[in-house]
Amino acid sequence: MSQFLSSAMMHNIFAGLAQGVIYSLVALSLVIIWQSTHVLNFAQGAMAMFASYVGMTEIDRGLNYWLCIVVSVVVGLLFGGFTERVLIRPLYGKPEINAIVVTVGLLGVLEAVAQALWTSTTRNIATPLSQIYFHDQGRLVLLSPFVIFQFTLAIAIMLIVAGLFRFTDLGLQLRASALAPEVARLLGVRVNRMLTFGWMLSAAVGTVAAVIVASGSFGLYPSDMDGILIAGFIAAVVGGLDSPVGAVIGGLLIGLTEQFILSYWSADLAPLGGIILLVVALMIRPQGLFTKSVSRRV
Amino acid sequence: MQRLKSFADQSATSSRLLGVFLLTLVTLAITFVLPPVADSQLAGGAAISIVVLGLSWLIGWSGQISLGNSGFMAVGAYATGIWAHHHPSTPIIFTFILAIVVGAFSGLVIAIPSTRLRGPYLAGMTLAFSAAISPVAQNFTSVTGGEGGLFFNTLTTPHWFLNLFSGQDATINANAQWTADLAVAVAGVAFFFMANLFHSHTGRAMRLVRDNDVAAELVGVNLPRTRTLAFVVAAAFAGLGGSLYVLINATVTPSTFPLTLSITLLTLMVLGGIGTLSGAVIGGIIYAFSSNLVGHINSLTGINPASNLGANMQGIIFGVLLILTMLFAPRGIAGLGPRIRRFLARRPRIAPVPTEE
Repeated sequence: MSQFLSSAMMHNIFAGLAQGVIYSLVALSLVIIWQSTHVLNFAQGAMAMFASYVGMTEIDRGLNYWLCIVVSVVVGLLFGGFTERVLIRPLYGKPEINAIVVTVGLLGVLEAVAQALWTSTTRNIATPLSQIYFHDQGRLVLLSPFVIFQFTLAIAIMLIVAGLFRFTDLGLQLRASALAPEVARLLGVRVNRMLTFGWMLSAAVGTVAAVIVASGSFGLYPSDMDGILIAGFIAAVVGGLDSPVGAVIGGLLIGLTEQFILSYWSADLAPLGGIILLVVALMIRPQGLFTKSVSRRV
Repeated sequence: MQRLKSFADQSATSSRLLGVFLLTLVTLAITFVLPPVADSQLAGGAAISIVVLGLSWLIGWSGQISLGNSGFMAVGAYATGIWAHHHPSTPIIFTFILAIVVGAFSGLVIAIPSTRLRGPYLAGMTLAFSAAISPVAQNFTSVTGGEGGLFFNTLTTPHWFLNLFSGQDATINANAQWTADLAVAVAGVAFFFMANLFHSHTGRAMRLVRDNDVAAELVGVNLPRTRTLAFVVAAAFAGLGGSLYVLINATVTPSTFPLTLSITLLTLMVLGGIGTLSGAVIGGIIYAFSSNLVGHINSLTGINPASNLGANMQGIIFGVLLILTMLFAPRGIAGLGPRIRRFLARRPRIAPVPTEE
């Protein structure tokens, strides 16, 4: 057993999945927004980065690490709602490019403001859980208490989101507003409020990903979510932007692909894992691997 | 009636071409009075305006949203860099043609999977492409020079031009101005081609595809081919712009094309005005002199330019302007003219379509 857990193959699988769950969370957050408002939010990563900066730098003032995470997520929630209300709401019904341009602009502003406020120097966040990998009879196993926490947190968030959508009244209203806003409105669902709530939920999920990234070995810096947003986006497209399950699986696949490229080919080329997967997926099923095929209305 | 319409169309096109020609001449004349620093800035602006024009064509005329044009730019730039590094004495025109061809080819390669996508999917796919350029350049060190990049010195000022200058700093002045003149001339040619293309058969087909692809298909427009062609043209323009951009700087490195460059290109295009020639010109001017403008704003507001805030002022201003323009004046600066004219004429306003010229 110990031989198995410390084999090169398992090293790659653990490292790939650890990165993959981060992509999955970002992909999931993109899918939540896409489902409710049909906007692809290019500022998703930057918003999460900003919220994690606000929350995690509270450590400097002596706040407990776990409370910092809570602060980050609350800031993310408020930020998501604010963005939908102020920037996105005026754009409903306008051409697609308007929302894309506005979210790209928000991405630029947030990264510049973050650099102005906190400089571009990387900050390492001290985590209460050890980041040192386990040893099993002298052999390295690529898991640490922090990585296990990372998996647990990501899976918990995914289950909470799934449960919310499937089993609660709120989830039903969210789904109804996304599927048939007019009918939902007639039946008494406050659709506008649901759209705002969708953005809040999505931003919170994204912030959890940003907190994990900031606590990890690369640390917290203003552009720390750039590459992750791209991978998360690819994951969402590979899985189909309408499918939360597909997004999660897409994220894990990209994490694994990147890790295998890194370990068998070149570390520089690892970011290409996603784009390779995307091209392959587009050739097989352009509408996404896990989505029901829909015809476009003209 | 048909003849009358085509005549009107023709005269509109020829007046546009004349406008491009005159603007190029005026800009060339201006380079003679500008100080060398401003000349260098103008050269960079001219290079960027070519890229913005290609992007404007792709987004404004074919309706395909790309965030990957900085990637096409990088492809043209590296083609130029690799060639100029090994063959520094090649005539410059050949280097440009090489950059255009290689850029167009990269556009074709990206277009084949991408034209299956639409809207936000396409924007994300092209963003992923432009993000992939820098890792590739870093990995294949033997060809691209890796992190340190490539150096070349191809833009040599001819003797007859040097002889026009005298006095102190004659060489510096002559070099800066020659670079600016060359860049403006190349941009002039590029704008001339695009002015023609806008109102050609292809340009009209492109607009129909953008507005209603089903109708376009019904009247016999080949959708995949038209969409692919739009990408190829935009990538050729980006390749040329990227080539000029790195020839001016005499170096190309992976960090020449950061992810933020895609955002900058989009900002310039939206600020100037989507799908218009004048919009791309305005975008180029904004790019060329944005550092002066930001410096001015810093000194007006008393922000220390060396401070964190001062150093990031440009990013903040660009981003805020991008958002405000899209929310309140989606046709950009070039769209303000007709808007003011309409306001003065007090005619009933037609509902604005942001991507229409």
